[in-house]
Amino acid sequence: MYDKTVRRRRAVLALLVVLSLLLLTAYFGEGPSGRLHGVQRDFLTIVSPIQDGANKALKPVRDLFSWFGNTLHAKSQLGQALKQTEKLRRELVADQEEKRSYHELAALTHLDQLGVGDYRPVTATVIGKDPNVWYETVAINKGEAAGVRRNDAVINAEGLVGKVTQVASDGAVVELLTGSSMGVMARIGTGQATGLVRPKVGEPNDLLMQYLPSNAPANAGEYVVTSGTVAPGFPSLYPPGLIIGEVTSTNEESAYKSVNVHPIANLHDLDIVQVLTAGAGTAAANLAQVAASLPAGQSGSGGGEQLASAQVGG
Amino acid sequence: MSGVAPGQLALRLALLALVVVFFQIGVVSEVPVFGVNAELCALLVAFAGLLCGSTVGAACGFAVGLFIDLALLQTLGLTSLIFTLIGYWCGRLRELRDPQAALTPLLVGVAASALALVGYSLMEFMLGVDAPVSFELLRVIVLGVVVNAIIALPVWALTRRVLEGALPEDPRRRRRRRAYTTGGLSPLSKA
Repeated sequence: MYDKTVRRRRAVLALLVVLSLLLLTAYFGEGPSGRLHGVQRDFLTIVSPIQDGANKALKPVRDLFSWFGNTLHAKSQLGQALKQTEKLRRELVADQEEKRSYHELAALTHLDQLGVGDYRPVTATVIGKDPNVWYETVAINKGEAAGVRRNDAVINAEGLVGKVTQVASDGAVVELLTGSSMGVMARIGTGQATGLVRPKVGEPNDLLMQYLPSNAPANAGEYVVTSGTVAPGFPSLYPPGLIIGEVTSTNEESAYKSVNVHPIANLHDLDIVQVLTAGAGTAAANLAQVAASLPAGQSGSGGGEQLASAQVGG
Repeated sequence: MSGVAPGQLALRLALLALVVVFFQIGVVSEVPVFGVNAELCALLVAFAGLLCGSTVGAACGFAVGLFIDLALLQTLGLTSLIFTLIGYWCGRLRELRDPQAALTPLLVGVAASALALVGYSLMEFMLGVDAPVSFELLRVIVLGVVVNAIIALPVWALTRRVLEGALPEDPRRRRRRRAYTTGGLSPLSKA
């Protein structure tokens, strides 16, 4: 009985395996139009309506499973999308920053072509800003180690920004044009008359150009630029032709007249600046040295240009 | 064998196989889990062998495999050959070892799934499928086995419930059950 069962079991297995192999061999050996392929197609023709019905009947189940799968997939995709958005946002900010820096550097290069290069410009980044409403100073990341000295002029892509008032080894403080001790000799447009540009009292964001001859032309909208000299034969700390601001209105006085000037440089949005570090032996350096050596009270923090103003004023 | 009509078992098994194959084709194949599809049919064949013995398991495997090959226009005889071997092997496991551990269906399901996936890949390679053995293939096989392991116990429960009243009674199992309950000898024989 046992042998019979074993024999039957083995015979069934052998039969099924051989049948499978025969089917496999025959199916694999014949072409697409062969008999087994035909049987398969016929079977599909019979089964396909049932399959179609089952497919429709099982659609809610499939949708349910798909919903779970899609929800999980969507959640993972959401996480990826958020990460990607964050990455792209960072890249965009970095690109915009790079673009802004590029424009500023390009403009500074343009300034170099105007003769600023003779003053050994040192490019620096603003690393600290005065939170005061008067907004008089900023800190930069270049100091004595880079050749920056007190009273060096500071410019940016738009024009004159201010001058160095304090120097450390690797940093410096720049007093802006609107600083209370600033004074720059300047002229209007292509005119020859010069005046002293100083901060306007009570107007933290505006400048006043004083001591202009009463007959000097001054029209609103004209540009005020550095004159390059404090007096005939005395060069200024600042190279000639740097834009300071734009004339907004004129004030008539007795012997002189003054004009209101709005700074061109956006002093509230400084990022990259250049310090004009005049080399030893140059006229600018000599002048700065003279200004720095004056006794307290005579030079003040205004330095050479204050001296110039005294000369012009006198 | 018990007095249960063999026709009843065949009928139940055929109905179950039909439902499972359609469910596999219509639902499971279209819902990937971890990027792979569960293989319900391999589990069904394995559990049929584990519950009904090697002959029924092999026959069930052949029939289910042939049905799948016909319905999906696959190489005829390929799935039936693999499923025949799976059903037979699981049936022999029952006949020789009769494992009673609770995790047996899980382990059998894992082994059957691995055998099906590896066997199918091997057969395809032998038949000349122009695809290199890659890490991706290994990943699909491993994930497929994992997914099948997850659903093995529910499929086992379903299969056993459907076939429960029509299962053949193994004389050895009956003897063993009696030995467990009576301690091997009746009180009278001890005396």
